[in-house]
Amino acid sequence: MNPKLIRELQNLLGRDAVLSAREDLLLYEYDGSVESARPDCVVFPSSTRDVSEIMRLAKRFETPLVGRGAGTGLSGGALPRAGGIVAVFARMTRILEIDAESRRAVVQPGVVNLDITRAVEHLGLYFAPDPSSQKSCTIGGNVSENAGGPHTLAYGVTTNHVTGLEIVLPGDGRVVRIGGKAAEPLGYDLAGLMVGSEGTLAMVTEITVRLSRTPEAVKALLAVYDAVDDATESVVEITRRGITPAACEMLDGWTLRTVEDFVHAGFPRDCAAVLLLEVEGLSEAVAEQAAEISEVCRARGAREVRVARDAHERDLLWKGRKNAFGAIGRLSPSYYVLDGVIPRTRLPETLRRIEEIGRDSGFRIGNIFHAGDGNLHPLILFDPRHPGEFDRVVAAARAIIEHCIAMGGALTGEHGVGMEKNELMPLMFTPEDLALMGRVRAAFNPDGLLNPQKILPLGKGCGELRVLPQSAGSALPA
Amino acid sequence: MKQGLPSDTQIARLEQTLGATRTATDPTSLAAFEIDGMRPGAAVRPANADEVAEIVRLAAAERLAVIPCSGRSKLAIGGVPARYDVALDLSAMNRVVSYDPGDLTLSVEPGVRLEDLQRELGQHGQFLPLEVAFSERATVGGAIATNAYSPLRAHFGSARDFVLGMEFVTGLGEIAKSGGRVVKNVTGYDLHKLLIGSLGTLAVITGVHFRTFPRPAERRVFTAEFGAAGAALEFCRAVAASALEPSAIEMFDPGAADISGIGTESGGGARAWRVVIAAAGSAAVVERHARGLERMAGEAQAARFEAWAGADAAKLLRAIREFVRIAREHSAEATILRIALLPASAAALAERVAAISDAHNLDAALAIGAAGSAGTGYVALWPRMVKRAEASSAPTAGATTDDEMASLTAAIREVFECASSDAGPARGFVEWCPTALKRRISLWGEAREDFVLMQRVKRIFDPHGVLAPGRYCGGL
Repeated sequence: MNPKLIRELQNLLGRDAVLSAREDLLLYEYDGSVESARPDCVVFPSSTRDVSEIMRLAKRFETPLVGRGAGTGLSGGALPRAGGIVAVFARMTRILEIDAESRRAVVQPGVVNLDITRAVEHLGLYFAPDPSSQKSCTIGGNVSENAGGPHTLAYGVTTNHVTGLEIVLPGDGRVVRIGGKAAEPLGYDLAGLMVGSEGTLAMVTEITVRLSRTPEAVKALLAVYDAVDDATESVVEITRRGITPAACEMLDGWTLRTVEDFVHAGFPRDCAAVLLLEVEGLSEAVAEQAAEISEVCRARGAREVRVARDAHERDLLWKGRKNAFGAIGRLSPSYYVLDGVIPRTRLPETLRRIEEIGRDSGFRIGNIFHAGDGNLHPLILFDPRHPGEFDRVVAAARAIIEHCIAMGGALTGEHGVGMEKNELMPLMFTPEDLALMGRVRAAFNPDGLLNPQKILPLGKGCGELRVLPQSAGSALPA
Repeated sequence: MKQGLPSDTQIARLEQTLGATRTATDPTSLAAFEIDGMRPGAAVRPANADEVAEIVRLAAAERLAVIPCSGRSKLAIGGVPARYDVALDLSAMNRVVSYDPGDLTLSVEPGVRLEDLQRELGQHGQFLPLEVAFSERATVGGAIATNAYSPLRAHFGSARDFVLGMEFVTGLGEIAKSGGRVVKNVTGYDLHKLLIGSLGTLAVITGVHFRTFPRPAERRVFTAEFGAAGAALEFCRAVAASALEPSAIEMFDPGAADISGIGTESGGGARAWRVVIAAAGSAAVVERHARGLERMAGEAQAARFEAWAGADAAKLLRAIREFVRIAREHSAEATILRIALLPASAAALAERVAAISDAHNLDAALAIGAAGSAGTGYVALWPRMVKRAEASSAPTAGATTDDEMASLTAAIREVFECASSDAGPARGFVEWCPTALKRRISLWGEAREDFVLMQRVKRIFDPHGVLAPGRYCGGL
């Protein structure tokens, strides 16, 4: 990287806010995905003004720039695919305002997701989107990726909980406020466009989030099955009946045993699948819905439906769910978490298809996912040290994603497209759709310096910077 | 009458595209498509997205201004068109393309009437939380393009929360889409969100994918009556802060209650503020709301609290849904401001509206949706009937005098200022007003800092400015 640029960054931010030594940069070449890409320089802005100046420097030195929160993303969104500067928001972690009456909080992008809830729970409020990584992931990353989580089934994903943003535009570093605390946009819904744009349109420096009221009653249920089909059929029936649990998660037997060995949550080790369901709201509604869910699950073959007796039991069940990826990490040198969506009516056949793909490809595929909204997370275990194995993983992953699309589904439900699936976009979108998306990106990011080579397929003229990926790991998908 | 002027050759080309039977050019047919006194030179009725694309490509090549419509109940919303050559009537695109009740997802064309759609969903025990004004004419496309207010947003959110994706035709005549048909999806840019409320200025909506919702077993409506705005708002805040989950909570000032006929059924006070609350769910849940609301109404010292079911409940729900229509039927010159309110700004507004309207010799009605939390306020203002009757030379119906326009202009400014006094800048716009007034004021107020981004978006979707030019903020 141009030493002059590094000097300018140091002058701007101070020496302790700029990393450029190789051993420091290594820490930032990964996120939660199987990809990697090394930055040439890492900077830590402390203010909107810093971000704006960094943006201008990136333009002046024609250097790619990528934002990064906690690096827990699963599609390579925070990886500098074309090298350049990575701006880490670890110093912008202030909660600027809590407006309990309007149910809004104004926060900086580096605030950890769960810390928003911690700051407002004494007011009987919480922030609804709850990705599994919520103890470490940041709201800035959540906004970029439009993050979801188990409880988004009833409450919606990040975009449904963001009403305003302060953004910094690429190029001139102009700072613009869009939306605000109000419930509806005035003018085009730019915040709606910005959330989920994976850091390719602008950098977000302040976020106004909607806070939700803590429900009066919560009940967690665990339905245990001896056949996967019975579990998926239960989800179909629950959906069909119009019961809306706050969360409806499925874990297959293998995943469950792995989790149980790690977490000791009391999950049965001898079943084929479980559904972890939660109902929330008025106590009357919770009691009725829990009863109806139990009835459906039993009628569809659940051998047992447990109801968590207290908050401790409930927490334990969720601990199992939220620590699942860590548990699996103990078993396999590496794993690839997929993210796809199908209509919920197609759940049974899709799980059968995934099993078939696992069998044919010779990989163990675990399933732990948001069954209630049809958001699958097949988890393919592999060993990257075996030559050629990663390519076969990619092929298996592609077969699963193609099945999702054939069912009328989507490429990604919450992880984002990033550099993981940008070449798969034509499965869902026509060249005209993609060209329009490319033009929208170019309208905000005309030089293509902000988070290049993400979302849209490469090799198509979209005003994108063309720099070869720096690491072999970013070749996915081939 | 100002009329759009496609040339004979251009009209011939439109006819070539759709056939003469679906291309109207006679004055009688065209009169039905007038907007702000402007009449298009042709009205075309495409049957599918391909035909829409062909028309828009022609329009883009010939620089003809096209305005999409279908139910035509809300065409008065928006600025005076800068140009208006072709009405793009989507009412023939009225199919339910797919409906998967088991997945609670739905794909429809824009010309589907909402009432028809709700009936079909109802057969499967489902509904769409889009209960908008002009219900018997309103279509999906219009409700989305105007981001029409639905009282149910207190609980279900607005269109941006349950529209899953859209298909549309850009101002270049490209057929494109974003989002998808599944309930959870983050693939690609959410371009469709930009179209919600954009008044047809970015693209012509040709398909909308929704998530649907289970129809509640029971619905009951409650009314509480208060002597003053403060007490009514206090009650709304208490409800919002409670565990209850009403599907709608609307606060009406005496003027709004008067024109809507709310309160007449029980003969309540003429100057009373009224809160209308809808609760839905199982019998036990509705009963819980009944108990909780009655207790809170008592604590807030409501003069009256009543529960309604059946026809009375339906009438109340209709009154809150149809507020803008009722105001416009009450006075053809009603100027109606739509303001995104926070609880603090709602209080300021509720306190000041009567004084502002009095000072300018206007009558006013204020309705606040999702009252007690971040909601939507509607302020309707119209010239006082009494003053009119007394005037020696009564103006012809429908015309607004210069004096009245000056009063309305001043009142609009004051309403926006008072709403902004406590909770930051007021965010709102003049949703409905007489054409003459549109020519004098900026409906969206002063341009804000994000206008530059809105311009960029407009240039991407409609670089030749052929889609509803002049109808949106800042003349977009």
